[in-house]
Amino acid sequence: MSPQIALHDPIFRAYFFIVLISLAVGGAVLGFLRMVLKKDTASMFRTYWSWLVIAAIGLLVVFAGRIPTIVGVTLLGVYAFKEFARASGLYRDWWMTGVVYAGIITVGIASLVSHPRGEEPGTGWYGFFVAVPVFAIALILLIPILRNRARGELQRMSLAIVGFVYIGWMFGHLGFLANASNAYGFLCYIIFATAVSDVAAFTFGKIFGRHPLRSEISPNKTWEGAIGALAVSMILPWLLRFSFPFFGVRQLILTGLIVGIGGQLGDLSISVIKRDIGTKDMAATIPGHGGILDRIDSLIYAAPLFMHMAGYYYPLR
Amino acid sequence: MKRWRYDSANDVERTPLARLRQFPREPDMLVYGLRSLGALIIRALLRVYNRFEIVGHENLRTNRSLVIVANHCSHLDALCLLAALPLRKLHRAFPAAASDYFFQSVPRLWIAAVIMNALPFARQIRVRKSLSLCQELLANPGTILIIFPEGTRSTTGEIREFKSGIGALVAGRDVAVVPCFIDGSFRAWPKGRRLPRPGKLRLVVGAPRNYRARNTDKIDICAIAAELRDAVNELRQKNGSH
Repeated sequence: MSPQIALHDPIFRAYFFIVLISLAVGGAVLGFLRMVLKKDTASMFRTYWSWLVIAAIGLLVVFAGRIPTIVGVTLLGVYAFKEFARASGLYRDWWMTGVVYAGIITVGIASLVSHPRGEEPGTGWYGFFVAVPVFAIALILLIPILRNRARGELQRMSLAIVGFVYIGWMFGHLGFLANASNAYGFLCYIIFATAVSDVAAFTFGKIFGRHPLRSEISPNKTWEGAIGALAVSMILPWLLRFSFPFFGVRQLILTGLIVGIGGQLGDLSISVIKRDIGTKDMAATIPGHGGILDRIDSLIYAAPLFMHMAGYYYPLR
Repeated sequence: MKRWRYDSANDVERTPLARLRQFPREPDMLVYGLRSLGALIIRALLRVYNRFEIVGHENLRTNRSLVIVANHCSHLDALCLLAALPLRKLHRAFPAAASDYFFQSVPRLWIAAVIMNALPFARQIRVRKSLSLCQELLANPGTILIIFPEGTRSTTGEIREFKSGIGALVAGRDVAVVPCFIDGSFRAWPKGRRLPRPGKLRLVVGAPRNYRARNTDKIDICAIAAELRDAVNELRQKNGSH
C-alpha cells in the first residue's frame, strides 16, 4: 500500500467512486426528505455532515498507505479506549490506563514491523500480534501486586482487560489488515460494509421499526432494522465481489454474516457497556454520532472476525 | 451480585471544546503529558532566547497552597512564573486568565487550557463567582494560583493599581501570598506586538506574607491590595533593571 499503488489500484479507485456515489445518494435522499416531504431532518443532516468528514479522512488515510493506516487505526484505538476509560471511571487509575495505552501502541507496532527473523511472509509480525493480549494481561495483573493493594482492584483489572482486548486489540485487527496482499479490498470492504450496515439498520428501523430488538439494552433498535441490515449485508459481498475475487460462495456468505450480525452485535455490546455505566453516548466527539467508540463499535466486532475468516481460507499475506 | 459503581468523568457527554472550557478540568493523561512537554520546551526557550533567571527561588518552596501575585505587562509573565515552579506542581498551578480573552477563540482556548492550565476568570461580570472559585481551589493544599491583580497587561511598563479582588481573596485566610516582580517582559513582548524579542527576563520572588489576621471589610481589602502593590514595587526598586 502506498499512494502510487493506490492511484493505480482498481479496487481502491472503485471504492473511491463508490463512497462518493453513496454519499451523494445519501445527501440526495436527505435533501428530498427535507425539501419535498418537509420532514425534520436536522439531526440526520448533522450525522450526514460528520459522515462526509469521516469518509474524507478514511479515504485519505487508506490512500496514504500502510503505515498511515496502521498509525491511524492505533490512534483511533487509543482515543476509543480513552472514551471507555473516562466513561467507566478507569481513567482515574493512571497505571492501568497507562498499561492499556502501551498495549494498544504495541499492537500497532506488531502490525508495523516484520518478523525479526523473517519467518513470516511480508510485513506485520502476526505471531506477536496475536500474542500481545498475553503480555498486556500479564502486566495488568501485575499492577495491584506491585502497589500491594487489593480493594477494588478486580474491577480495575477487569475494565482494563476488557478495554485492551476488546477496544485495543480487536479493533487493532483493522490495522493488521493493511499488511494483507489484498489490503485495499479487505480494508475498503469491511469499513464500507459496516458503515452501510449501520445506515441500513437505522433506515429500516426508522421506516418499518415496530418490535424492539433488545429492550433492556438499546430501546431504539428494532428487529425490523436488524433484519434489514442483515439482508443488505448479505447482498453486499456479491455486489462488491471485485474486492475479493478469490472468495467462493461460502466465504461470501460468511462475510455477509460477519458484517450483518457481527456489526450489530458490536453495536449492542457497546450499548450494554453504556447502559450499565448509565451514559447515553461514550463522548460527544463526532457531532450526530456521539463518541469515536460509538462510531467504530460495529467495526470492532466485525473486523477481527473477518480477518480471521479470510486468514483461515487464504494466506493473508 | 451487587452492581459495580462506575465513577465516570463528569464531562463524558460534552463536546471536546466544551471540555476545554469547563473548570475545574478532569485529569487527562494526554493533556498532562502535553503540558509537561510544553513546559520543558518553554523553559528551554526562556533560558536560551530570553536569558531567563530567577532570584529568590527559595520563597516558592512549600507544599501548602500559594497565591502568586505579580506585575503584568506581557504574555511572558505567566510563562515565567510557571517556569519557576517544579514540573510536578504544574498541574496544580492555575494562572487566572481573562475568560473574555483566553476562553473565546479556539487556539487561545487550547493554549490556555492545555498548556497553561489557566483558570477562566470573569473580570467584568461575576467577579465574585470567579473569586469564590479561587477560594475553593485554595482549600486543597498544594494549589498554586497565579494572579495579576492589575487586571490587564500594562501598556507603559509601569505597575498599575491593584484591583481590590486580590485583597478579598486573601484577607482572613491562612494562605501564603508571594509577591513577584518580573523584569524585562515589557521590553521583550509588549501588548500589541506579535512575537517576543530576545530581551533579558528576570523574575524576582519576594518573601511570602500572610493576611489571616486581617478583616474582610472594604477598607482592609483595599489596604491589602495597596500593600501587595507596594511589595512588588519594592522588589522592583531593589532588584529591577540596572
